[in-house]
Amino acid sequence: MMTLDIVVAGERLTLHAQRAVYWAAARTLLVSDVHFGKGAVFRRAGIAVPSGDTDDDLARLDALIHEFAPERLVVLGDLVHGAATERSAWVDRVRAWRRFHADIDVLLIAGNHDRHFDVRSLGIDVVPDRLDVAPFVFSHHPHPHTTGYTLAGHVHPGVVIRDGWRRHRLPAFVFDRDVGMLPAFGTLTGLYEVTAAPGRQIVAATPAGLVPDIR
Amino acid sequence: MPTNSTTSAAWRRAEARLVAWFAAQERRPAAFQRAAWRAWAEGRNGLVHAPTGTGKTLAAAGGPLIDAVLRPQTGLQLLWITPLRSLATDTTQHLTAAVEAMELPWRVLRRTGDSGSSERAKLRRGACELLVTTPESLALLLSYPDARERFAHLRGIVIDEWHELIGNKRGTLLQLGLARLRHWLPALRSWGLSATLGNLDEALHALAGDGVLIGGSSRKKTYIDTALPEGGERFPWAGHLGLSQLPRVLGAVLAAKTSLVFANTRSQAELWHEALASVWPEPLETLALHHGSIDPKLRFATEEALRRGTLRCVVATSSLDLGVDFSSVEQVLQVGSPKSIARLLQRAGRSGHQPGMPSRILCVPTHLLELAEIAAARRALAEDHLEPRHPMRGCLDVLAQHLLTMALGGGFTADEAYAEITSSFAYAKFPRERFDAVLAYLRTGGTALASYPEYRKLVETDGRYHVESGRIARMHRLSIGTITSDGSLQVRYMKGARLGTVEESFLSRLRPGDRFLFAGRNLELVRIRDMTAYVRAAPNRRGGVPRWMGGRLPLSGELSDELRRTLAEGAPHSAEMRTLAPLLAIQRRRSAVPAVDETLCERTRTREGDYLFLFPFAGRLAHEGLAALLAYRLARLHPGDYGYAVNDYGLALTAARMPTLDAEAVRQLLHPARLRTDILASVNLTELARRQFREIARVAGLVFNGYPAAGKTLRQLQVSSGLLFDVLRRHDPTHPLLWQAEREVLDQQLDYTRLRACLLRVARSHLLWREPKRLSPFAFPLWVERLRGGIATDDWKSRVERMRATLEADADT
Repeated sequence: MMTLDIVVAGERLTLHAQRAVYWAAARTLLVSDVHFGKGAVFRRAGIAVPSGDTDDDLARLDALIHEFAPERLVVLGDLVHGAATERSAWVDRVRAWRRFHADIDVLLIAGNHDRHFDVRSLGIDVVPDRLDVAPFVFSHHPHPHTTGYTLAGHVHPGVVIRDGWRRHRLPAFVFDRDVGMLPAFGTLTGLYEVTAAPGRQIVAATPAGLVPDIR
Repeated sequence: MPTNSTTSAAWRRAEARLVAWFAAQERRPAAFQRAAWRAWAEGRNGLVHAPTGTGKTLAAAGGPLIDAVLRPQTGLQLLWITPLRSLATDTTQHLTAAVEAMELPWRVLRRTGDSGSSERAKLRRGACELLVTTPESLALLLSYPDARERFAHLRGIVIDEWHELIGNKRGTLLQLGLARLRHWLPALRSWGLSATLGNLDEALHALAGDGVLIGGSSRKKTYIDTALPEGGERFPWAGHLGLSQLPRVLGAVLAAKTSLVFANTRSQAELWHEALASVWPEPLETLALHHGSIDPKLRFATEEALRRGTLRCVVATSSLDLGVDFSSVEQVLQVGSPKSIARLLQRAGRSGHQPGMPSRILCVPTHLLELAEIAAARRALAEDHLEPRHPMRGCLDVLAQHLLTMALGGGFTADEAYAEITSSFAYAKFPRERFDAVLAYLRTGGTALASYPEYRKLVETDGRYHVESGRIARMHRLSIGTITSDGSLQVRYMKGARLGTVEESFLSRLRPGDRFLFAGRNLELVRIRDMTAYVRAAPNRRGGVPRWMGGRLPLSGELSDELRRTLAEGAPHSAEMRTLAPLLAIQRRRSAVPAVDETLCERTRTREGDYLFLFPFAGRLAHEGLAALLAYRLARLHPGDYGYAVNDYGLALTAARMPTLDAEAVRQLLHPARLRTDILASVNLTELARRQFREIARVAGLVFNGYPAAGKTLRQLQVSSGLLFDVLRRHDPTHPLLWQAEREVLDQQLDYTRLRACLLRVARSHLLWREPKRLSPFAFPLWVERLRGGIATDDWKSRVERMRATLEADADT
């Protein structure tokens, strides 16, 4: 089970095990917290992370675009991890990827990390704070809004699931009454553990599929 | 460097000054102390081994002090390395007194991680002749560009408590530091001080290459007593807390002026402290708790109170095993098996510090079979069978850290550095390819197979390696050392006072308002912010006690061997074995007690499950590897999902449907052939290596622990070692640090050497096959133990299906 359909704010959303959401009615693909260039920031600071994270993430995005054929890709903040120079190799790769998908709109709701780098130079549109597309409000921070149901990122939610004698820490989708949170899309991202609560729906993502209904 | 003839009049006059100081305190130098002074004067290296409190410090310090009287000089003359910061204070005082007695104009300084800035500034100006410091602080000193000048006048280095460092990565780092100093100063004298070890020659060799081994005065007598359950008293067959012994422990503690109660884990210490506090008849200030996760300030306060003699009892872990003399301590108690003879001896040595007084330790067993361990420990001690501690060899992560230190401290060429590091014991015969791989990691980030753009930790100009970036230099100096504190959070009161550190994995399961026991206090979690858990005092405890990783040590090989002998022979003269006799009778009736050349195997079907028990008595680590091996080989013959449990005595294997087995089948399953291949395939090696990688990544500078004070810029650089491990495996699978992780899993987590020895022994021994109707006393503790691991078809797909099925089943009930 790579995908799971759920109904949020009266709309059908398709959750994908590759940590993305597809909203078929609006032909919109949603991801969050991609953190492009994180490896490069680390390498410059003398922390050896092989470069390959950006290529992996772009390939996963390609696969999702191929599967759903969206008209629009919305990134719920933190597309880029930190400052980059124009010469950074990942910048060229992202730009080339953007050109390849020139037929779809790519829109970023700016997150806290995005102030380090202007993604408009990559051909990506930016909305500073939030975007209302009824019945949803797309935003980076998971605050409730009066104008609609918030879909957000920022938190990098994850859960711990017991599996016999093992415990797995997995990225997760979390839907509360007024706010839904996407797991971080980027390969090089950490997790913040969330726990079950009444009225909260949690769906964990593994490389081999989704694990729904975590209590 | 010229040596002084010990027969010269000048040397004798200087020695007489030292002897006079001894006499002023109504003491006389012991023969081993004078031997050490003479050896120093002859320019030799050496290792002094003697129990604590017998004058090792002056044995090592005397030589250099006499030397200094004869050839006065300014600038750093003597380095004194101590493993613990808390010891540094005491040692500094002790050495200062000796320096003053010799009327030397020496300045004695202490430099540790918590030295003040004025001390550090003095040190930078080179304003001392004797420096007391830790291995990490030495590494830090070596990382400054003027390191060589600072040590230009150094005549000798003394490593205190070498036995505490020899077996771990701190010892490896220190060996590399010594190689650095010896390269600069070929005449440098290196001396070590150590408690008694099973491998003193090797310890000397690792420290100093060649030298003299000097033994202290014959060992103090050590008495081992046992808190025996009384006749008719029901005593548990399993367990590890032992709180049923509380009245006996309280009685013993109140009968002495001051007692130390040693527990084996920090959680156990917390719970015993809580239990004692609940029945403590005196003011609570006279009862204290001491373990490695408690804030240094609080620990120091406890140590001070012990020194002043205002405490009646301290519950402690190995954090109090070391060094400092507390003359007020009259009695030592050990809750649970000490797991090693050397440790028992060391802990016993914390009592009876007055010369001539014997050491006494009261062992408090937590379950019946521990009585046999205590009896075995006494026998081993009588025969002087102590455990060896072997130095680690060829750690790539420590090497990476040291090479960066060398690059900062003046730079190096590859050939120079290779020659220097291979002069140390830890890297003797270290293959050049591996050295080059580590160098490549520092220069390019990884191997030639993967790409690491922007990465320039080490920079090469004309064959010399150095560091260009000030930021990399700063980060390296901040993270020097090898002690892992990764993944733990500060615990402090809302008002600011620090209590210590607790592992993130425990705190992350708590919510604000939840209560827990820590540092001997009932606490309520208020919030977690910036790697700090803010708490307030709670009136009582409803929640749990933190568990720290790596809490339980395995039973040592020497003690295991002795335990098998003790059980087989019954040792009728010991009170412990007499108390244990009824239990062994049940064991014999239901199953058997194996002789020394036998291995017991039990097949038991109970209502609770279907089990295969095996009792090799080889320690929990080796048993874990053995259990995984058995499960793997069994699953190959009879597919299924096998779970296992282990303890220090044996292992249990279980499955929903266990195949029919007999002695011959088990013998086949335990065959030593193809061990390495099967063990690599059987245990979930990746999972284990991923965990092991945490420490390696930190030591090698691959992850950086942001300090709260270091600010936001560094927080951006935090990444979990697990994530890095996954990325490296995917993009650079031959990375040297991955290789190191796999090796450490085999050597340390699975104790491969012992596992192999155990299999060979079992293959030679007679396999006793028994099918008891009920659980035998040996099997019972294993049955109680939680399942530790298992072998199952293991890809994400099947995991997901399993998790889904479990969640659905939970939902239905």
